[in-house]
Amino acid sequence: MITPEKPLLAEIISISQDTSDTKTFEVGFVDKKLQKKFSFMPGQFMMISVFGFGEFPISISSSPYKTNSIKFTIVNVGNVTNAMHKLKKGEQIGLRGPFGTGFPLQKFRKKNILFVSGGCGLAPLRSAIYAVQEKKSEFGKISVLFGCKTPENVLFNEDMNQWQKENFNVLSTVDYPNKNWKGNTGVVTGLFKQVNFSPENTIVMICGPSVMIHFSLIELRKKGFRNEQMFASLERLMQCGVGYCSHCNIGNKYSCIDGPVFNAKDLEKLPVKEN
Amino acid sequence: MNYILKKEDFPKFLELLKKKFGKVIVPAKNETGATCFQSYSGQELFLESRTDFSAKEFFRPAKEKMFSFKKKSSSFEVKSEHDNTKKVLFGIRPCGTHALSTLDELFIKFLGEDNFYSDKRKNTIIIALQCNEACENGFCTSMGTSQASGHDLLFIERGHDFFVRAETKQGTDLLDPTLFKHTSDAEPSSKIECKNELDIEGLGENLYANFNHSVWKEESERCLSCTSCTQSCPTCYCYTSNDEFVFGSGTESERFRVLDSCQLQRFTKVSGNHVFRPSREGRLRQFVLHKFSYYKKYHGMHLCVGCGRCITACPVKISLVDIANKIQKHPLEFQKHSLEAKK
Ligand SMILES: Cc1cc2nc3c(=O)[nH]c(=O)nc-3n(C[C@H](O)[C@H](O)[C@H](O)COP(=O)(O)OP(=O)(O)OC[C@H]3O[C@@H](n4cnc5c(N)ncnc54)[C@H](O)[C@@H]3O)c2cc1C
Ligand code: SF4
Ligand code: SF4
Repeated sequence: MITPEKPLLAEIISISQDTSDTKTFEVGFVDKKLQKKFSFMPGQFMMISVFGFGEFPISISSSPYKTNSIKFTIVNVGNVTNAMHKLKKGEQIGLRGPFGTGFPLQKFRKKNILFVSGGCGLAPLRSAIYAVQEKKSEFGKISVLFGCKTPENVLFNEDMNQWQKENFNVLSTVDYPNKNWKGNTGVVTGLFKQVNFSPENTIVMICGPSVMIHFSLIELRKKGFRNEQMFASLERLMQCGVGYCSHCNIGNKYSCIDGPVFNAKDLEKLPVKEN
Repeated sequence: MNYILKKEDFPKFLELLKKKFGKVIVPAKNETGATCFQSYSGQELFLESRTDFSAKEFFRPAKEKMFSFKKKSSSFEVKSEHDNTKKVLFGIRPCGTHALSTLDELFIKFLGEDNFYSDKRKNTIIIALQCNEACENGFCTSMGTSQASGHDLLFIERGHDFFVRAETKQGTDLLDPTLFKHTSDAEPSSKIECKNELDIEGLGENLYANFNHSVWKEESERCLSCTSCTQSCPTCYCYTSNDEFVFGSGTESERFRVLDSCQLQRFTKVSGNHVFRPSREGRLRQFVLHKFSYYKKYHGMHLCVGCGRCITACPVKISLVDIANKIQKHPLEFQKHSLEAKK
């Protein structure tokens, strides 16, 4: 008998405080054999249980080539994520998954890649960026665009520095700059003009708030990008991750099993903005 | 094989079942006067028509325990709930048997067994009761669900007795020879004619293509978001899961799944209070499209068996049959572009 919903035990190996409200948790299955067998695609998510508090969907933010442990970057926004933030190294959580579609990176070989992220949307993209970094020679030019509210919300500084060293075009922008901010200001779509790419032979991966995805797609289409070249990861309420609870229905698709990563061609046909 | 059970022997049969299995579920009135399924304890049965509430409670309860979590020093023990109580369900109507087959598709066949559901399903012997008359708002004849399926025994009321058709070994085993006599009578015809009719030709595709049809708004304007429709429906299964601490214990907790309703804003609310389906129009459409388009697309069948409960239960008489028929008769002209037009 299988129970697709049974959470499996995992232990917190390390915790890093990324920003005032965001932490990255490195975890590993208690059953070492499970961890050994574990693999995933960037863009996929897992369901984390904080026992006694509940369960929530979270993208994997670590590299698909480093699966001795799994990393999740979690913003403290509510009850369960708050309880998660209180946990310490060595404590246990439950894990189910990985679930959903990922970014089909194997199809993007030889292409230029443009990553567009907003806020904690950089978390799922980081996994894809790591994957591209690992096989750098197989891809063309790489650009990473990141937008967030204030300089204090900038995620993964170390990674960004590293990506810059790898000659990725890394650009960030904030809505509300402070005195020390040397980057750009304004919305992330404002960075498009600084990216020297031609729409041909470029793949775009987007993750962030729904308005950001919406306007990014519009702007990129104006620049000549075709839907087939663009992929976005969507956020919806999810309780099961396997197509059982129906919270994440978008039109005739389920974002947990047909997504969360969708091709823009599908998105155009879906009632993403329902009234 | 067919049998006859005299009506006067029927209570004896129920008592026998109760002795053998401990739990027999029957249709009866509850304290509010609504009809539902309950454990048999000699009460008067309700056999006139289908019940107001379905038998869903015995397969997908409104609140169902899934796991218990126990903290033991630094580790947790995770236990999955199992329900191994054997029971007999008597009096489920043909539409109800189809409702179970419909849920089987998702909770048994789609990903493998969801044991919370499949435990209950496997441990329940099903005695269906044929309808001799169409019920108030039913449209089972349109949905192809007017003849029972997947049951163990079928009872057909016939004047002073029940004509009984045995379908499975576990059903036949219930037929105590002192009460049930073989018969070579022809099976009574059970053709019913529903007043309500739904045109299901191309239904799923057409409704989805008419995502922006004006009927959604017109019909939803009087909706009260009371959730009577989804509660009464034998196939509405959507749920939310919650953890609860065992009262007085800081170390033990339990996870439940509770039936939720697409008719509520909270159904699509994420942190930050963003609601993906804020209007009643969108939520009523979700209910109807899940029934006729989405489930069909994924599981090959409609998530509706035409029992008419949602129509009867709705305080403002919103009817999914009327909505669907209106769209079937008057689809949007440029249906193909309807989804894009909105954006
Ligand atoms: C595919 C996917 C990937 C995600 N990846 C990340 C990530 O990498 N980092 C991150 O910080 N956040 C991510 N989120 C959002 C994260 O799931 C929510 O922030 C989290 O569920 C909030 O839970 P809460 O209990 O703290 O909030 P509350 O508002 O108290 O929520 C109560 C319950 O509602 C549900 N819920 C609330 N908001 C959401 C939401 N946005 N999405 C789904 N369910 C929700 C949860 O099941 C939760 O148990 C992701 C969401 C999805 C759907
Ligand atoms: S949608 Fe209405 S008619 Fe169809 S099965 Fe549910 S309650 Fe019955
Ligand atoms: S029963 Fe009627 S009023 Fe109540 S939520 Fe359903 S459609 Fe709306």
